[in-house]
Amino acid sequence: MELLQNILAYLILATAIGYLVWKFFLPKSLVGSKKASSKSCGQDDCGC
Amino acid sequence: MSKSINVALIGNPNTGKTSIFNQLTGLKQKVGNYPGITVEKKQGICKLPRGVKAHILDLPGTYSLNTTSLDESVVVEVLLNKNDKDYPDVAVVITDVENLKRNLLLFTQIKDLRIPTILVINMADRMSRKGISVDIEAMEKKLDTKIALVSTRTGKGVTYVKELIANYRSLLAQPNLDTSRIAPEYFARLKQAFPKEDIYKLWLVITQDVNFMPIEKKRIQDATSFSTKSKEDLKKLQHRETVLRYQFINATLKDTYKVDLQAATGLRANLDKILTHKIFGYVIFFLILLLIFQAIFEWSTYPSDFIDEQFSLVSDWLKNTLPSGILTDLLAEGVIAGIGGIAVFIPQIAFLFLFISLLEESGYMSRVVFLMDRLMRPFGLSGKSVVPLISGTACAIPAVMATRTIESWKERLITILVTPFTTCSARLPVYLILIALVIPEGSFLGLSYQALTLMLLYLLGFGMAIFSAMVLNRVLKIKSRTLFIAEMPTYRLPLVKNVGYTVLEKTKSFVVGAGKIILAIAIILWFLGSNGYSEDFKNAETIVSERIEKQGLSPYSKNYIKNNIDLYVKSTPLSITGGEKAVSIRAIQDSVRVMTKILTESAMQQEVASYRLEHSYMGCAGKAIEPLVKPLGYDWKIGIAVLTSFAAREVFVGTLATIYSVGSDQEDTIKNRMAAELDESGKKPLFNLASGISLMLFYAFAMQCMSTLAVVKKETNSWKWPLLQLLFMSTFAYLVALMAFQLLK
Repeated sequence: MELLQNILAYLILATAIGYLVWKFFLPKSLVGSKKASSKSCGQDDCGC
Repeated sequence: MSKSINVALIGNPNTGKTSIFNQLTGLKQKVGNYPGITVEKKQGICKLPRGVKAHILDLPGTYSLNTTSLDESVVVEVLLNKNDKDYPDVAVVITDVENLKRNLLLFTQIKDLRIPTILVINMADRMSRKGISVDIEAMEKKLDTKIALVSTRTGKGVTYVKELIANYRSLLAQPNLDTSRIAPEYFARLKQAFPKEDIYKLWLVITQDVNFMPIEKKRIQDATSFSTKSKEDLKKLQHRETVLRYQFINATLKDTYKVDLQAATGLRANLDKILTHKIFGYVIFFLILLLIFQAIFEWSTYPSDFIDEQFSLVSDWLKNTLPSGILTDLLAEGVIAGIGGIAVFIPQIAFLFLFISLLEESGYMSRVVFLMDRLMRPFGLSGKSVVPLISGTACAIPAVMATRTIESWKERLITILVTPFTTCSARLPVYLILIALVIPEGSFLGLSYQALTLMLLYLLGFGMAIFSAMVLNRVLKIKSRTLFIAEMPTYRLPLVKNVGYTVLEKTKSFVVGAGKIILAIAIILWFLGSNGYSEDFKNAETIVSERIEKQGLSPYSKNYIKNNIDLYVKSTPLSITGGEKAVSIRAIQDSVRVMTKILTESAMQQEVASYRLEHSYMGCAGKAIEPLVKPLGYDWKIGIAVLTSFAAREVFVGTLATIYSVGSDQEDTIKNRMAAELDESGKKPLFNLASGISLMLFYAFAMQCMSTLAVVKKETNSWKWPLLQLLFMSTFAYLVALMAFQLLK
């Protein structure tokens, strides 16, 4: 039981650290955030 | 099989667009951002007759398609790009029955893009009061569209709007205006150069001031067979377009829209005279602020205390129910304490958003913007800066983004730099707990000192923002000024549903957004506070026991035992008379002896926990920064809380809750734990008037928000400004907090 508690507790710690690193330190491009759309317009008669 | 269509809700600001969006979509909403930019994108799903499913997109408010700011140009981006996944099958243009003439300008522009368009005339419930009558049938013919008269207040007409959307294929996508009349020769040349393309769309692309997405001017400019006009010439043509549109609108409204001024009542004008008066206007605003802060303190005390006690009970229950071990301790002392630290402020945050929402919904907030515009002009800012500053009371992040409406770059930059001084909702938990600890509970003229202090802190933040703007205005030497045109919406009774949505959504985003960070920090802090490398940490129990044997318990522990015994004796009834009294006294003496023993053991365990915390990893880090925060009246624990709250201000309370939970053996509420902390001498509370004021001033001025810094970097496209902002605000906050403590101690 003690071993299980240890494993779970350290898993929670790793998740917490991972979350903060993801939230504040990783560049957004690495975490798959929305990027500016690069698709070009101009097909059909859209006027672009 | 059910069909799915895209619907765009478009309209001028303050036409009730969001209310209609809410009525159409109910709770099936999703709020995000437009790709690559941080303009809010609200989407929702609406089930229409005959199994049609509509994806409703609530576009930012705009007065026309001749945009001047980033958020307005989002509308043009969506409407011009047929490849955009949000390109509408049908556009629903929302107008206000009282401002139909101005609102129709946007309608005619969208109609000329050959998009099937429905006209919604909102606020129909006010027609009789304002003496307005509309000949819908005639207007439909003139505008070549379908019209729905809607009242979001009563819900009238919303079902008809759904029907019109479902039948959008029956709408003719014909333009209202022959746009070649704007400049016949110029448009003919355009047509010649781009024979396959829609000329009015090309015209909008050429005349956009803001151009940040796939719409390319370059391709038109690169076309060798065609050369565009100069910027000045294009502006003149844009004016001509507006004139032509208004001629068409006037002709349309002449026979279809009537206002009987004798039937109209003048309540709005009279109210405006008072609410925007150069003296009474400010007095009334000041009184409303007082009421808000009084309510935040008075009304939220009971639910707040209740939540605090519940978290304390849950923590206790976890410890007693789960098998003892590291996970149980982490949950009881780290997670629950950390989350409880922020959950206790849910009532206050909800009340704050309730009042902000009521002021906005009633139309009063626009009057406040008008009042503030007058106040801020001498300091070099226009009313356009007021909107971000006022919305900064909720959160600085959307407020910084709201500066996009300011055309002048320097004015925009100043607003971005000073907005974080306004008191955001993240500061509220810090202020509330500190005020409750260090400001007495008395009242002055029925207003509690605590509410007055909170209002002073809000005014201080706003004052500092204006003062900084004045300084920056001189340093940066602004030459250009932004023209500010504010619309005064009519007064209306706030809709319970809309207010409810806002309060729920904002409170949820505050709790969930901040909660995740606080939870993560609380977990890490608990580990740092529960582990250590030194011999002192490992042998804490032996060291403390030996010290107690030699020197006795600490003054704090002695005081703790004495207070508890006094309370116990006072609460024990002694009503027996005669010979039985001696027996009763002896029984009480016995129970006091047992009680003292229990309390002494508890105090000893408390001292061990405290000693262990002091020599843990967190204690070592705290002690390392203590010399820096000691002159401000803080101990190492507060130092740690200040440091972790750099991520977000509200983390301060959660951090202290976790630290005191680790360093204590008893379950208690956060407020009681903080109140019980003593300073170095062991005689005075750690959170006293001097250290409390010092902390509040520190948080009033310090840039304790990483997310705001990231947004400032994004909006200024440089690290220079956020770093300067961080340096200035932190240094200033430190110096003011230092002076406050040294003067008051």
